[in-house]
Amino acid sequence: MEFAFLPSFPPELNQAILFGLMLLAGICGGELLRRGVGLPRVTGYVLTGLLLGPSALNLISADLMANARPIVDVAIGLVLYELGHRLDLSWFRHNAWLLAMAVAESLLTFGAIFAAMYYFDYSPLVCALAAAMGVATSPAIVLLVSHELRTEGQLTERLMSLTAINTAVAAILIIVLLPWLHMEHSATAMSTLLHPVYVLAGSLLLGFAIHRGVVELARWLGKREDRQYILLIGAIVLAVGLARALQLSVVLALLAMGVLARNQDAKRALLALQFGYGGQLFLVVLFVFAGASLNFSGWREAGTAIAVFLVVRFVAKALAISIFSTASALRLGSALPLAAALLPMSEIAWLMMHDTVTIYPDFGPELTSLLLGALALSELVAPIVTGLALRRSDEAHPEGELSRV
Amino acid sequence: MSEMTFNASPKLSIGVELELQIIKARELDLSRDAEVLLARLQRMEVPGAVKPEITQSMIELNTSVHDRYDTLLAELQQMRDIIAREALRLNLLIAGGGTHPFHRWSERRIFPDERFNFVAQRYGFMAKQFTVFGQHIHIGCADGDAAIYLTHAFTRYLPHFIALAAASPFYQGEDTLFHSSRLAVVDAFPLSGHMPEVETWGQFIDYFDGMVQLGIVASMKDFYWDIRPKPEYGTIEIRVCDTPLTVERAALLAGYAQTLAYHLLAQRPPAPLPATYQVNRFNRFEACRFGCDAQLVDAQSRQRSSLRDDLAGTIAMLHEDAAALGTTAVLAEIDALLRGAPAQSELLRQRFKQRQSLADVVQAQADYWMAVPSKQEDRKAVLGTHSS
Repeated sequence: MEFAFLPSFPPELNQAILFGLMLLAGICGGELLRRGVGLPRVTGYVLTGLLLGPSALNLISADLMANARPIVDVAIGLVLYELGHRLDLSWFRHNAWLLAMAVAESLLTFGAIFAAMYYFDYSPLVCALAAAMGVATSPAIVLLVSHELRTEGQLTERLMSLTAINTAVAAILIIVLLPWLHMEHSATAMSTLLHPVYVLAGSLLLGFAIHRGVVELARWLGKREDRQYILLIGAIVLAVGLARALQLSVVLALLAMGVLARNQDAKRALLALQFGYGGQLFLVVLFVFAGASLNFSGWREAGTAIAVFLVVRFVAKALAISIFSTASALRLGSALPLAAALLPMSEIAWLMMHDTVTIYPDFGPELTSLLLGALALSELVAPIVTGLALRRSDEAHPEGELSRV
Repeated sequence: MSEMTFNASPKLSIGVELELQIIKARELDLSRDAEVLLARLQRMEVPGAVKPEITQSMIELNTSVHDRYDTLLAELQQMRDIIAREALRLNLLIAGGGTHPFHRWSERRIFPDERFNFVAQRYGFMAKQFTVFGQHIHIGCADGDAAIYLTHAFTRYLPHFIALAAASPFYQGEDTLFHSSRLAVVDAFPLSGHMPEVETWGQFIDYFDGMVQLGIVASMKDFYWDIRPKPEYGTIEIRVCDTPLTVERAALLAGYAQTLAYHLLAQRPPAPLPATYQVNRFNRFEACRFGCDAQLVDAQSRQRSSLRDDLAGTIAMLHEDAAALGTTAVLAEIDALLRGAPAQSELLRQRFKQRQSLADVVQAQADYWMAVPSKQEDRKAVLGTHSS
C-alpha cells in the first residue's frame, strides 16, 4: 500500500468543491448569456443549473444537491432579511391603500388559482398548495434584477413591499396547509393544529430574539460598516441554522428579522447595509441550485393546467393592483408594469413545499409536475419581464447593466 | 414687453422660494422622484406653486406674493403640511438644509426640461453638483432705480442672512467646518458674485445689453449673483440663504428682509461704491465659515465687529420700522436667537455627534422640516419662541 496517501479516483466531491464549481459555472453562464443575448444574469445562472442538473447532464446529481442545501439556506436567509428590510411599515400608516393593495394582491391570487386548479380536478389540498405557492413572488429574482439595473423609485419600492407581503402570506399559507397533508396520511388532528402554531410563533419569536441581540451588539460595536456587516452575516447564518435545527421556518424567521431591523430600531443602531458582492455569492448558488431542481416534464403531463395557472396568476395580480392603484398614489400607467414585475415565481416557496411533499410518493408527483413546470418557465422568462418592467418605468440607472436591451 | 421691463410690484411685498430635498425614507439618501411627487402635487389645491429644479432630487416651493409676514408664514406652513403629507404617501421625506450631507453628486439625474438640459450640457459636472438647496427672498420694488439702490444697500447686510439661514455643515460626507458650505458650490459658476457697480436702472440696462451683445448671457437667469434685480417680478431677489431647517425660519428671514428694506428705502443711507464690494467677499466668507461668530469689516467705519453684535445693532435700529410693518415679532425672535440659541448647523453637528451617522443627520433635517408631531421637542431648539 505504498500509494495509500493518494485519494481515490475520481476524488470525492465535498461541499467546498461543489460551492466553488457552482459559483464558477454560474458566473460564467450568467456572463455568457448577458454578453451573447443581453439577457439578465439570473436567467444565465438558472440555465447553468438546469444544464448541470439531473434533468440534463446530471453533473449535479440529486445527492449533491442535498449537500448544497446548507449554502442555499444561507442564501435564502440573506435574501429574506434584505427583503424584510425593504418593508417600511410606516409607509402603510401614511398610505393605507398600499397595504390594502398588498393584501388584496395576495388573497386574490390565492383565490383565483385555487378556483382555476379546482376546475382542473385537482384535490382541494393540491389546489390550495399550488395557490399558496402562486401567491409568492421570488424575492431573490426581484432583488437581483433590481441590483443589476440599479433601479430606484416608486415602482421598485412597491415591488419590494408587495413581494415582502406576498412572501409572508405564502409562507404562512404553506405552514398552515402542510400539516393537513400529514393528516391525510398519518398525523392526528391535534398535531395538525399544533404544528402550524409552533412553526409560526416559534419562527417569529426566533426572528425577534436574534433581532434584539443584533441591536444590542450593534450599539456596542458602533456605527462602522465593516463591523456591522460581519455582525449581520453572523446573525443571519445563526438564525438560519437555528431555524433549521428547531424545525421552524427559515423564511418567516429571517423575514421577521429584516422587518424588525427596518421598523424596530428607533435610534438607528443598525446601519442600512447592502450585502453587496458577499451576498451575490450566495445568490448565484441559489439560482444554480434552483435551475438544477427544475424540469419541464410537467408541461407534457399538465401543460394546459400550467398555462392556466400562470395566466390566472398574472391576471389576479394585475387586477388587484389596478383596483388600488389610484387610491394608493401609484402613477397612472404603472399598474401593469408593477404586476409584470411581480411575475417571477418563488423558488424559495417551492423549497418550503418540496421538503414535505416528496415524503409522500402518492401525493407528490401531481403537485410537483404542476408547480415545477410553472416554476421552470417562470425562472427563465420572468426575470426578463421584471427587468423590462423596471426599465420601461424609467427606474433603472443609465449605467445599470442591460440598459441597452 | 421685453424681459428687462421693470414690472413695478406692490411696494415691499414679499415672497419666498425654497429649494427642498426629496429623501428616500430607507437609505436617507436623495431620491430621484421629483417628477412623481410633482405630478401628485399638481393635482392638489396647493397655495403658491411647486416646481421642478435642476435635478430629480429637488423641488422648489414658491409662495404667492404677500404684504405681511404673518400671512406668508401661514401659507408656508400650509404648503409644508400638504407637501409633507403627499411625500409620505410615496414613502419619501422632505428635508430643509442647504446640502444633503452625503449624497454623491454623480448619482444625480437632471430633471427633463429644456432649460435644465441646457444648463447640464453647458456646465457639465457643475450642474449635478448644483444639487444644493437655497432660499430666495423676493422684495417688491416700485421701480428699477429703487431695485438697483436696494441691491447695493442690502449687500452690507447679506452676512446676516447667511448666518441666520446657514444649515449646511456637511457636504459630500464630510464636516466642512462651515456653517454654510452651500455658497462655495455657487461660487464655481462664472456668473456668480455681485451686480456691477451701476447706479440706475438705465445704466443696468446698458450693462445687460452689453453682456447680451458679447454673447455672455441670454437672460437675467444667467446671473447667479448673491442678490439681483428681477424685473419680470418687479423685485430684488436675495439668494444667499441656505434653505433653513424649518419654514418658520424661512418666514423669519423674509420678515427681516422686508423690515430692513422698509428702513433702507425710507432712510436711504448711502451704499458707497466701490467700498461696499471691497469688503463684501471677505464678510461673506466669514459668515459662511463662522455664522454669528463671524468678524465683519464695515466698509464705511473701517471697524471690525462680530456679526452677532452687528445684527443686534441692526435689530435695535429697526424697531420703529417693524412697528409700522407689523414685524415686531420677527425682531424679537431674532433677538432671542442671538441670545444663545444654537445655530441650525450646530444642531445638525450635535445630532451627528450623538448618533455617529450622517443618515441620522438627514433624518433630523427631515423631521425638522416636516414638523413630525412626535419630534416637537427637537424642533423647539430651532423654532425658538414660535413653538410656544
